[in-house]
Amino acid sequence: MQSANMLLRKIVRSSVLPFAAQHRMKKDLFPLSRTLSFSLCLKQDKSCEPSEKLDLDEWKKVMKSGLQEEVSETVSEPKELSGLAAARETVEMWRLAGKAVPESISEEQLKTFMECPSKSAKKKYLKYLYLKEFHKKNYKRKMDEKRQRRLEAQDEASKTDETKKSPFLCFWSSTMDKAYNWRAAQSMIFGQPLVFDMSYEKEMSVREVTNTVSQIVLSESCNRRSVDPFHIHFCNFKDDSLYHREFVKSYREAWSKLLITVTDQCYTEIFPKDKLIYLTADSPKVMKTFDHDKIYILGSMVDKSIKTGVSLARAKRLGLETAALPLEKYLLWSSGAKNLTLDQMMHILLTLKDTADWKKALEFVPKRKYCDFVNKPVKELRKTLDLINTLKFEKGREEVEKQFAKNYPKKYKLK
Amino acid sequence: VQPPEKPLQPEEWNKLREDLQLPEMFEEVMLNSMIRCNSPIDVAKSLLSDLAKRNGDIAYNVLVKYLTLCVQQGQVSEIRDVYDIMKARFKVLEGGAYNLLIRGLSNSDQWKMALTLLEEIKKIMVPSRTCYESCVKAASRHQEMKLAFELYKEMLAKDVVPTLDVLQSFFDFSRGLKGAELQKELFGILFYLRENQIYPHKTFMRSIKLWFESIPGENWRGRLTKIKDSGQCPVCNHQLEDSKLTGEEYSKLSERIISDVIHGTDTFRKTSPKEFEAFQTFVEKRLPFDIVIDGLNVSHIKSRKMQCENLLDAVNCLAKENARLLVLGRKHMLVNSSNWKREIMKEMQNKADFFFAENISEDDAFLLYATLRSGEHCRFVSRDFLRDHKACLSNSLTRHLFRKWQRGHQISKPKCFSSVFSQQPAFCYDCVVQTTGDTWHIPYKDVFEEKYSYQVPRKWLCIQQK
Repeated sequence: MQSANMLLRKIVRSSVLPFAAQHRMKKDLFPLSRTLSFSLCLKQDKSCEPSEKLDLDEWKKVMKSGLQEEVSETVSEPKELSGLAAARETVEMWRLAGKAVPESISEEQLKTFMECPSKSAKKKYLKYLYLKEFHKKNYKRKMDEKRQRRLEAQDEASKTDETKKSPFLCFWSSTMDKAYNWRAAQSMIFGQPLVFDMSYEKEMSVREVTNTVSQIVLSESCNRRSVDPFHIHFCNFKDDSLYHREFVKSYREAWSKLLITVTDQCYTEIFPKDKLIYLTADSPKVMKTFDHDKIYILGSMVDKSIKTGVSLARAKRLGLETAALPLEKYLLWSSGAKNLTLDQMMHILLTLKDTADWKKALEFVPKRKYCDFVNKPVKELRKTLDLINTLKFEKGREEVEKQFAKNYPKKYKLK
Repeated sequence: VQPPEKPLQPEEWNKLREDLQLPEMFEEVMLNSMIRCNSPIDVAKSLLSDLAKRNGDIAYNVLVKYLTLCVQQGQVSEIRDVYDIMKARFKVLEGGAYNLLIRGLSNSDQWKMALTLLEEIKKIMVPSRTCYESCVKAASRHQEMKLAFELYKEMLAKDVVPTLDVLQSFFDFSRGLKGAELQKELFGILFYLRENQIYPHKTFMRSIKLWFESIPGENWRGRLTKIKDSGQCPVCNHQLEDSKLTGEEYSKLSERIISDVIHGTDTFRKTSPKEFEAFQTFVEKRLPFDIVIDGLNVSHIKSRKMQCENLLDAVNCLAKENARLLVLGRKHMLVNSSNWKREIMKEMQNKADFFFAENISEDDAFLLYATLRSGEHCRFVSRDFLRDHKACLSNSLTRHLFRKWQRGHQISKPKCFSSVFSQQPAFCYDCVVQTTGDTWHIPYKDVFEEKYSYQVPRKWLCIQQK
């Protein structure tokens, strides 16, 4: 019965209406369709009643019936929730409501969550945790797959069981490390100093400090791997500061063995003032060439809340020379702030030091931030652009005049 | 996805589910489209029944979606049922569900239950402003003004900012009611508008007007008008409050400008202590000025003209009125260049005092300081909105003071350029809700949203008692 009904519906929906539309006047269509669907409705009701009627509130019964046992369990629990438990409950409800919330949350994270000053801060923090968890899981899954594949490969290798002979020794990463460390050690004696100014802790949030440290770790590693490394100085570095704790967290034991100079002194106390150049995007002066005799200073600061002029103020206070990268001169900037990350700066400086080639160095500026390289200075480019535009305009004018002449022959003239 | 028009049998749902090929998302997608199309509630019910039969449980987010549909259609008994089920199933609910429940119930005859729900929320979090909004509106709709005001005050105490809608509802529902207490509370709302420099929109203004006129036995009469530039109301000839800050406000503002804007976290960010000191002594020696000019800003007014010519025009036109001028600029203006001719600079320096800051210093901060230091009568000329300096101020009260002071003292389009710009004088009267006891003057916006924070309405509601 029901299938017949379905069939009927299908027929009505798919063929009758267009058929009717084709063969009747448009104004007749509406009453027709209405009666059709109405009669269909009647038919369906009739056909449903004897076999099975839909119980629309059935879900309520199901939901309530499943609860009886649970309710008896929860009665014994204390009704008032303590702060942490309540927070955990809220987080759980947000997760059920489909917000970006991590599945597991530690006590410490929960405390941070509760300390967030506003609802949006809370949401942001949970989203951050959620993404972190997501990436971690993904990474773990990938590693598991890799391990699986390796095991399989090993199985196969053991089957063939063939001893490989190679004329070279296997070049282990520890050997590489030794070579890098040798270079870094040399740089500590003969290398050009590069200063990281670690005096911005007060200006940053905890997250920003963490980001700063991870950027510095990246820069340090790329420096170590370069052909001619800088001698890195961490100046104004206070023991037991947030920076310090974060460094220990990411380097662990290696922290005390790093081939860099860490000091709580200011760079002005270590180096002659006239040799120092503070690199800051706010500087009015633009760097023309990389000077091998100067000591460049980078501010170890991640600035997510747009505090302009902080590092420029620092340089002004100490009366130091400042410089900014010539980004405008070489790149057609499209969007994004002109301040780069510390590892990008390190890459750029290392390349400049080795090659003195601005184009090569500025390849490390993120691609999303600029449209293209300019070979000529932008000013000249703009001039040619203007020239092209005026030419175009004049050409357009000529064409307009021609058109005009065609339409109004001889009678009028366009001035 | 097109939701079905009638409740479906489980088999039919199955078929749809397979067609869509989104087994996990199916219910959500379907319910979302039902909400969009405002489908009959029975269709959603049949989906839930099917779901319950399949899984023996219904997920929280699906329940919330269903609740949204119920609230949208005002199905009160369904809302209550969903609430009972949720309450039994989960220990606490999250904000979204509470918002929906309160919104749904407050519009019905069971609005008292919305209030109990509000109490329940307060145990676990600060209720959202929509929750309060619904409850306040429900209470005032049922003429329980006392309760409504209690909720309103609680809201303010918890730093939940009321919407204009809430405030308007007070006026709408107290129309024709008598009572000194009530009147006092409503005046309180008008003072709230005054203190926070909020301008009501047209419909809100109409509600206020109607309420005033409906107070039995008090004979208020409201008229729409525009205030003259002199600050006089054409209807009642009353002179509006002038835009002067009180002495206390004035000194507080200057203090905050120096500490927050000029010094901030580090004096070196905008200037240097040495430079600022030099500027201070310079200003003290030549006080007081009548007009302070932002030289660089003014020099860009007409792009066709040379920059120093623009500045010369401005100085000439302002100097005619025999005023003491101070022009703030940067050192690069002194270097002879295509835009800055030395002779013209010399000529100007005879007519006005000049202070040249370092090229990397912020001259705006000096502008504010010099104007404030010269006293109440001093104005400044700049087209800059000074928003970034306002943002440096640490609390909202000083920001309001700043804006008020700015309105009264900034000349953004000087007279001499009237051929290009229409003149926008500094206001001599204060543009806020104000009263003298037997009159009220309320500025209002023509459009619903005020587009720019620096714009003030030119239209007023004048209410007077006859």
